Amino acid sequence: MPAVQETIEQVRKIDVDQYKYGFETVIEMDKAPKGLSEDTIRFISAKKGEPEWMLEWRLGAYRRWLTLEEPNWARVDYPKIDFQDIYYYAAPKSTPGPTSLDEVDPEILKVYEKLGIPLREQEILAGVEKTVDPDLEEVGDNVYKSGRVAVDAVFDSVSVVTTFKEELAKAGVIFCSISEAIREHPELVKQYLGSVVPTSDNYYATLNSAVFTDGSFVFVPKGVRCPMELSTYFRINEKNTGQFERTLIICEEKAYVSYLEGCTAPQRDENQLHAAVVELVALEDAEIKYSTVQNWYPGDAQGKGGIYNFVTKRGDCRGDRSKISWTQVETGSAITWKYPSCILRGDDSRGEFYSIAVSNGYQQVDSGTKMIHLGKNTSSRIISKGIAAGFSQNTYRGQVSAHRKATNARNFTQCDSLLIGNQCGAHTVPYIEAKNATAQFEHEATTSKISDDQKFYVMQRGIPEEEAIALIVNGFVKEVIQELPMEFAVEAQKLIGISLEGSVG
Amino acid sequence: MNMRAEIQRTPAEAALVDAFGERLSLLPGDGAVMVKRDDAIEQVKAGLPTRRVETWHYTDLRRLLAAVPDFDASAKAKPVAPLLEGSSVLSLANGVSSASADIGGVTFQRLSDKLTDGSYAPALVTYGKDDAIGAINTAFVADGYFVDIEAGAQLDKPIELQNIQAGGQSHVRLPVRVGAGAKATIVERQTGEGAGLVSSVSQLLLGDDAEVLWLIVQDQPETATHLAQFKAELGKNARLTLFVMNAGGKLVRQEIIVKASGEGADFKLRGVNLLAGDSHVDVTMVLDHTVPHTSSTEVVRNVVTGRAKGVFQGRINVHQIAQKTDARMACNTLLLSDDGEFSTKPELEIFADDVACGHGATVTEIDHNHLFYLMARGIDEKSARGLLIRAFLAEVIEELEDETVVDPLEELLSNWFATHG
Repeated sequence: MPAVQETIEQVRKIDVDQYKYGFETVIEMDKAPKGLSEDTIRFISAKKGEPEWMLEWRLGAYRRWLTLEEPNWARVDYPKIDFQDIYYYAAPKSTPGPTSLDEVDPEILKVYEKLGIPLREQEILAGVEKTVDPDLEEVGDNVYKSGRVAVDAVFDSVSVVTTFKEELAKAGVIFCSISEAIREHPELVKQYLGSVVPTSDNYYATLNSAVFTDGSFVFVPKGVRCPMELSTYFRINEKNTGQFERTLIICEEKAYVSYLEGCTAPQRDENQLHAAVVELVALEDAEIKYSTVQNWYPGDAQGKGGIYNFVTKRGDCRGDRSKISWTQVETGSAITWKYPSCILRGDDSRGEFYSIAVSNGYQQVDSGTKMIHLGKNTSSRIISKGIAAGFSQNTYRGQVSAHRKATNARNFTQCDSLLIGNQCGAHTVPYIEAKNATAQFEHEATTSKISDDQKFYVMQRGIPEEEAIALIVNGFVKEVIQELPMEFAVEAQKLIGISLEGSVG
Repeated sequence: MNMRAEIQRTPAEAALVDAFGERLSLLPGDGAVMVKRDDAIEQVKAGLPTRRVETWHYTDLRRLLAAVPDFDASAKAKPVAPLLEGSSVLSLANGVSSASADIGGVTFQRLSDKLTDGSYAPALVTYGKDDAIGAINTAFVADGYFVDIEAGAQLDKPIELQNIQAGGQSHVRLPVRVGAGAKATIVERQTGEGAGLVSSVSQLLLGDDAEVLWLIVQDQPETATHLAQFKAELGKNARLTLFVMNAGGKLVRQEIIVKASGEGADFKLRGVNLLAGDSHVDVTMVLDHTVPHTSSTEVVRNVVTGRAKGVFQGRINVHQIAQKTDARMACNTLLLSDDGEFSTKPELEIFADDVACGHGATVTEIDHNHLFYLMARGIDEKSARGLLIRAFLAEVIEELEDETVVDPLEELLSNWFATHG
C-alpha cells in the first residue's frame, strides 16, 4: 500500500541514524567527583553558593531517595542504572556567572550556533532549529510583539546565559536560572519549590530534588501577560554526566506565559540519564502554556546508547479559572518515561495535554498524562498521537480521576496510534477513575491504518493519491501541531518529517 | 519500600493457609494433583495481590478479603429453578456434585473422579504469579463437572451449570469441551444464600466451527465473596458469545481470559453489572488475538448505586502475526451516587500493523436532556430515571435476540430494580 510506503519514507527521515545533533564539543569542564553521596550534594550546593536551607532540602531528599526502590511498572526495559557511575555536576570552566554574552565561552556559543539557537538577542529563535521565514514575524499576533523569544541556555549542569532579562524585568517578569533564583529570590523559591512535586513524589523526582543543578525559573506577577515567548534550551555535552534540571514556573493572578523547551545531546554509545522535574503553578485566572520539542539522542539503529529521559512534569491549577496546557512533540531519547500532569484544584480550572510521540529504532516510549480533578466544574482534554516504527515500543499511559467533591468534572480523551512495520508495538493504558456522579468522562482510542474509504473519498474528488494521503494525515496530527506556538510548530513539523504522512488512526 | 522483610500474613491469608493444612487429607487427587495443590498454596503463602500488582490495581485483594469462613460440611444448599425453561441442570450443592441428568450428545463426569484418578491434573494451571483466583482454586478445588459435547451435536436444550453455595467455602471447576461444529447454550449460575467464599473456574475449549452462547449469572447475597474465572480458547471459525450479569455479592472478581487462537474465530462479550450497597465488583478481561483474521467486540454496561465500587479492566493483546484483527471494546457506566466509584482501564497492546482496534470508555450520570424530554411528557422523575437506566442496560441484553434468553434476563433485571431501585 503506497500509504505505508510514504509513511515509511517519512519516518526514515527521522530515523535514529539521521540524528543530526549528535556532535560533541570539547570544552574544559569543572566536574564533581563521580558518584552520589552527601558529599556530592554538598559540593553541588557549595558550587551554586546556595543558602543553608537549600542544602538541607537537598539532603532531606537524598536520605529519602536512599529508602526508595526504582519503579518498574512502566512498559520500558533497560539494564539497571549504576547511580555511582555518573557525574552529577559538570559545568563549563569559564568566568563564573557571565553577565553578558561576551563573557560566555565562545566554544559554547558555537555549540548553540551549530544547533541553530541564536543567543544574540537581535535574532529570532525558531525552536530547536533556526527557520529563516520572513513571514513569521508578520503572522505572530501582536501579543508576541515581534516573535522574539527569550532563551535560557542550559549546558550540562549549568545555565550559561539567559537573554532578554532586562526587557522582561521591565514588565515585572523574572526569568533566570533556578540557581540564580535561589540566590536572588529565595522567598519565592521557598514558597513554591516542591509544592507541586514534593521531594517524596517518586524515585526520580526525589533524586532530582537531591542533585538538581540548573533549570529555569519564571515568575509572572499579577495581571501581567508575558511580553514574549520564554524558552529553555537543554544540551547534554559531557560524557557520563546526568542532567538533572529543575524548572519552576509561577503565574500569579490573571497572568499568562508561554514557555518552550528544547533538548539535544551528542551521539554516544553509553546511555545517559536525564531526570528532570518541572513544576507549574497557576493562580486565579492565570494561564500557562508549556511546549516541549524533545529530541535527545535516541541511540543508534542497534539500540546502543541514547538518553534515558525520566521526567516528572506537573502543573497545579491552584486558583479558580486557571489553565495549564502541555504540548509535547517527542521524537528523541532511548527511553522516555514522562507524564506531564495537571492537578485541577481550583474551581472551573482547565487542563490540556496534546502529544505526538514518534518512536523508531529501539526507542521505548511510555508517556501520557494525569488529569486529577479536585475542584468543581473542572475540565480536561487529552489528545495523544503515537507513531511506532522499527523495533520501538510506544505506550500511552494516562490517568483521569475525579474526586468526591469534583462535581461536574469533564474529560475527553482521544489517543490514536499507528504502527509502521510488524516489529514494533503500540499500547494504550488509560486509567479512568470516577468518584463523583456528576463526572463525565469519555475516552476513545484507536489503532489502524488509513482506511481505503477515506482515501477513496478524497481521490474521487480529483486529488492524487499522495496528496489525498497527506490531507488525511495532516488531519491526524493537526490537533496537536496547532497547539504549538508558531515558531515551534514549523520546527516540529520538520522534525517529524513534515507531517507523519500515512499515519492515520 | 525496599525493606520489605518477611511478609506479615493477613488473617485471611493465614486462614487460607491453615484451612489447606486441615483440608488436605479430604481433598481428592493423586500425586500429580497434589503437586499442583502444593505449588498453588505456596503462591497463596507468598501473599495475596495488592494494588501494586498491575492486574489487581483497583481490587486490593489482600486488603479487601477481610476474613475467610471455615468449611461448613453441614450447610445445605437450596435447589434453584433453572434460568431458562427446559434446561438440563447439573448442580453443585455447596461445592459437591451429584450425577443426574442424561443429555443426548453430551457426556459428563464428576470432577472429583477426574481429580482422584489424576486425569485432570494437567489442566490445573495458573496464568502466572498474579493469578490469585487460579491459585486459591487449584489448592482447594474438590469437585465440579467435566462436560464433553460431541462434535456436530446441536443441543436443542440449554445446559445449566449451577453452583449453589450455602456458606463456608466452596471451590469448584467447570471444564467444558465443545466438539467441532457443535452448537450449545450454556448457563453458568453462581448463586446461594450464605456468607461464603466461592472460587469457581470455568474452562471452555471450543472446537472448529463450534458455536456457543455462554451466560454467567451471578446473584450472590450481599455477604458473599465470589472469585471467578472464565477461560476460553476458540478454534477455527468458532463463535463464542459470553454474557455476564453481576447482580450481587460483597466482593466479586470475575476474570475473563479468552484466546482467539483459530483463524476466523469471533468472540463477543456482553456484560451488565448492577452494583448496590457496599459491594465491590471487578470484571477483568484479557483477550488475546493470536492468529490472523479474528474478531471481537465487547460491550460492558454498569450501573453503580449506593457506596458500591465498580471496576472494569479490559486488555486486548494483538500478537505480531495476528494481522487483520478487528477488535472493539466499549465500557459505559452510569454512576448514580456520589458515594459510589467506578474505575476502568481499557488497554490495547498491539504488535501487528494491519489491524483495526479501538476502545471507548465513558463514565457519566443520566443525561439531563433525556430526563427533561421524558419529564416534559408528564413522567415523574423517578420513573423517568428508571426508564432511562433500564433502556441503557436492556440494549445489551436485547442484542442476544433469542427471547427465551432475553426474557428471563430482563426479569432478573426487574427483580434487581425492585430491591435496589
